[in-house]
Amino acid sequence: MNGRIEYWVKIPIGPIHPALEEPEKFIITLDGERIINVDVKLGYNLRGLEWIAMRRNYIQLLYLVERICGICSFSHNHTYTRAVEEMAGIEVPERAEYIRAIIGELERIHSHLLNLGVVGHAIGYDTVLHLSWLARERVMDILEAIGGNRVNYAMNTIGGVRRDIEDKHKRAILEMIKYYREEIMPKIEEIFLYDPTVEARLRDAGVIPKRIAVEYSAQGPTARGSGIKKDIRYNEQLGVYPDLGVKPITPKEFTGVIKGDVFDRMVVRVGELWQSMEIIERAFDQMPEGKIKTFPKDNVALVKLKKADGMGIGRYEAPRGETIHYVRANPGTDGPAKWKAREPTFPNLFAVARALVGEQLADVPVAIASIDPCLSCTDRVAVIDSNTGIKRILTEKDLLKASIDKTREINPNIKAKPELIGTTCGGVRL
Amino acid sequence: MTPEELIKKIKERFEVETHTSQTKTPYPRKRIWIGIDRENFKSLMKYLQEIDPHAQFSIIIGEDRGDYLSATYHLELFCEEEPSLSVAVTTTCPKEDPKIPSLGDVFPSSVPYERENQEFLGIVFEGIPDPRRLFLPDDFPEGVYPLRLDETGITPEMVKNAGHPYKVKKEGS
Repeated sequence: MNGRIEYWVKIPIGPIHPALEEPEKFIITLDGERIINVDVKLGYNLRGLEWIAMRRNYIQLLYLVERICGICSFSHNHTYTRAVEEMAGIEVPERAEYIRAIIGELERIHSHLLNLGVVGHAIGYDTVLHLSWLARERVMDILEAIGGNRVNYAMNTIGGVRRDIEDKHKRAILEMIKYYREEIMPKIEEIFLYDPTVEARLRDAGVIPKRIAVEYSAQGPTARGSGIKKDIRYNEQLGVYPDLGVKPITPKEFTGVIKGDVFDRMVVRVGELWQSMEIIERAFDQMPEGKIKTFPKDNVALVKLKKADGMGIGRYEAPRGETIHYVRANPGTDGPAKWKAREPTFPNLFAVARALVGEQLADVPVAIASIDPCLSCTDRVAVIDSNTGIKRILTEKDLLKASIDKTREINPNIKAKPELIGTTCGGVRL
Repeated sequence: MTPEELIKKIKERFEVETHTSQTKTPYPRKRIWIGIDRENFKSLMKYLQEIDPHAQFSIIIGEDRGDYLSATYHLELFCEEEPSLSVAVTTTCPKEDPKIPSLGDVFPSSVPYERENQEFLGIVFEGIPDPRRLFLPDDFPEGVYPLRLDETGITPEMVKNAGHPYKVKKEGS
């Protein structure tokens, strides 16, 4: 048949799918295999949330901010309530602060396990992906038992939390921690701290030196991997975290060196998994009895907020880094005049774009995955050859292939002996 | 350094309005809000960076306040210590002359936020190193600022077919 038409169908999965949150475009200029310039273009998923927020009241906004991101839905909710509480001077019961800390750490565990798997996938170790994502099911089940949903658990309300953590939940969480400590963490540590191929592949890839990290305001594990001792829970003395003894984790405590590469960021994540479990146990020990919210009903909160005047900033250390929400009151109405949110991926993206200059194209997927962006960021990459000026679009598949090929070059035996890291997890053979 | 010491230090050099807000958690925590005119704004930010060379810039909140525009810059000083100082500096500009000096040379991480506010609110950052659009498409009409309060919405002329969604030509053909 003459003039055959090629149909190329692209199915967008999102914006609700938790892994595909922010499509971004990286325009990379290449000289041979070396990257000489990286440009970022955002806005493929612009939903106009700020404009919607001006038309809603404070309680309705709780549900809007939760849907910014599926993975850190609790973080956004938590940060927003803190901003409103600061604006109106609302006190939060102590038990509610402990519940917030526990749910926040559960979320950190599931986010870090997700990212460890994604990085494993980016270098071709799909076994790591299966291991960590299967382990992640356990914490998601717990979150479902407490909040009713696997994502968007709607725990926070203004002046407290909406649900209590009961004894049966406490038992399940402690059992889960025992399972992670004994079954999962030794395997994760073996892969990310001691495996020679992983080390060869992740060392010196996507290096962000401390100077660049400060200059570009890197956040979260990206900043701590570069040696900045910065953790909002610790800096800001947030809620009851000073009682729980949070300290920023840097790779120095594990490996003795700080290079600021992908390996260091992964080491920070492994360390934070240990830390999160400790925090949860400590929180259960110290948690007092009492009420969990200040206002019995939402309309009571709205009446109080109607009189509020002023502005508030809420900050919280989400699994990916610092989240900031800003709220300015509109006196006499029950909605805000301005609401603005900043998620940690935004500054991290520019930091990693700067860090990619001089690296190889095969390191792009793993470097971008290592800042834990809301993935689908590697959606499309445009590559410009600096000699010929020809522009070609690489899909995620092409990029992953380049990355996996590099791993095969380093260790050709991976395919031959997959059972080297093949593990059983909860009785299920992977 | 305590918040009071910082305010005293700033007030020795600049004429600013300040107030501190305090949260009511088990560990009360102060946040410093500073208002300054746009002429002295850049020198104040440079001074804050002098006080702490590792100051972390986090966000620009651009707002339409009715008859004028305002931009709030949030900084964290002494971020490797506990507790660090959280400072929000607000500067304003009239709508007829919406110009604020760019901080691209003081805090390089502020450039993406400046680009964002430039396209959404129409604040012109003088001396910005990279004035291209970041979020809005390149063919979005000039002079339309979506987050201004007097914005009326999209007119039918602005709506364009973004291309056939299913039929994509093969490369090179």
